[in-house]
Amino acid sequence: MNTIADFFANVWNDFYADFYASFIKEDRYMLLLDGIGITIKVSLLAVILGIIIGMIIALFNLSNSKFLRAIGKVYTDVIRGTPSVTQLMIIYFVVFASVHLDKWIIAAIAFGINSGAYVSEIIRAGIMSIDKGQTEAGRSLGLNAAQTMSRIVVPQAVKNIFPALCNEFIVLIKETAIVGYVGLMDIQKAGDFIKSATYKPILPLIATAIIYFVIIKVLTLLLGLIEKHLRKSEVR
Amino acid sequence: MIKVKNLHKTFGDLNVLAGIDEHITQGEVVVVIGPSGSGKSTFLRCLNLLEKPTDGEIFIDDEQINSKKANVNLIRQKMGMVFQQFNLFPHLTIIDNITLAPVLLKKMSKEDAVKKGMELLSRVGLSDKADSYPNQLSGGQKQRVAIARALAMEPEIMLFDEPTSALDPEMVGEVLDVMKDLAKSGMTMVVVTHEMGFAREVATRVLFMDQGVIMESGTPDEVFGNPQNERTVKFLSKVL
Repeated sequence: MNTIADFFANVWNDFYADFYASFIKEDRYMLLLDGIGITIKVSLLAVILGIIIGMIIALFNLSNSKFLRAIGKVYTDVIRGTPSVTQLMIIYFVVFASVHLDKWIIAAIAFGINSGAYVSEIIRAGIMSIDKGQTEAGRSLGLNAAQTMSRIVVPQAVKNIFPALCNEFIVLIKETAIVGYVGLMDIQKAGDFIKSATYKPILPLIATAIIYFVIIKVLTLLLGLIEKHLRKSEVR
Repeated sequence: MIKVKNLHKTFGDLNVLAGIDEHITQGEVVVVIGPSGSGKSTFLRCLNLLEKPTDGEIFIDDEQINSKKANVNLIRQKMGMVFQQFNLFPHLTIIDNITLAPVLLKKMSKEDAVKKGMELLSRVGLSDKADSYPNQLSGGQKQRVAIARALAMEPEIMLFDEPTSALDPEMVGEVLDVMKDLAKSGMTMVVVTHEMGFAREVATRVLFMDQGVIMESGTPDEVFGNPQNERTVKFLSKVL
């Protein structure tokens, strides 16, 4: 009997020692909290930049000008054809090497540029999914191309685009776990840092996973509510 | 009102319109018939430049519309178009479908546009559907809304591209009734259709098209009663 009780007492003591070393000692939990701040800041700015760049590139890809379409195609090809870590490091160590900006802003720009390529494809596909008859109906009433796009095609495309866009944002948040490569202390890097300070990998890594999971779960629930709202006009 | 001179349209190697000359005057109801692939829809779509003519000239009210100088958007406001697939805007309510263009293009106030829209809806018998969405309507109702939407721009000419071809048989009548009513009011109409009964009853002139040209043109009595062209005879023997 004693041995079993001892066993559990030992497990508990070990766990407590690990927990103390990983999170309490030297206020190490603060590293994770600060990491959450960095991850959220980088992701938010990157999402905004990604949408702006994505819309511009989508317009390039849908335009009548061969030159603009070529720019759009090269952009998408290059971004999709290279790893995001490589892109991040090129932007940080080469493009912005002599520019004095906060590290997290540079990282967000890198992720925004990356995300823009994917967002542009999502937008392009969404716009092309709208029946050609809709454009013809708009134009036949006398609306010009821009009015037809903004009043008729885009409002319908948004609903089709939204789920894919949400998915892209979720991928983007997880993708930011590589910002440690340019010396930013995000959630992943904070967990990593604690791990190397305590030589106990289990708790910091599990904590890292749980934090990402919770952030993404909350975001998914919020986006689900917005999507429900968008689909209101589809009553039958 | 509409003058077409030597109109050609090719898609790649396919010669869809092979030289059309036609003159449609105000108040005419011209019904275009012919086998599928004869180019009748393409002809109609060229009239408001949804298809760009490969060659030839189109004049509306003596203004050449397929010249570089022409303001296509302004010209299209004079011509309403009704499509086979209705093409209502599914994200807007029925009344918003109708008021969108007048408010945007004619700078009409929203109140005036709604008032006008409600008049048009009652004209097509659908006043009670103003706040519905297109998905909640039957095919025949959708097409009547599409006609009201086109009329809201107060066009001088109405183009109909097989307006009843996508409808269940029992709904064809309600749409044709609206079109008959419109014809009676003196609207200039060009109608591509397979409804021979409508052509007989309402048309002031019938055009028979085949292989990208107008093979025969005349009053319904002439074309249906005493067709001159061999192809017309053959076509009519199949559809009547």
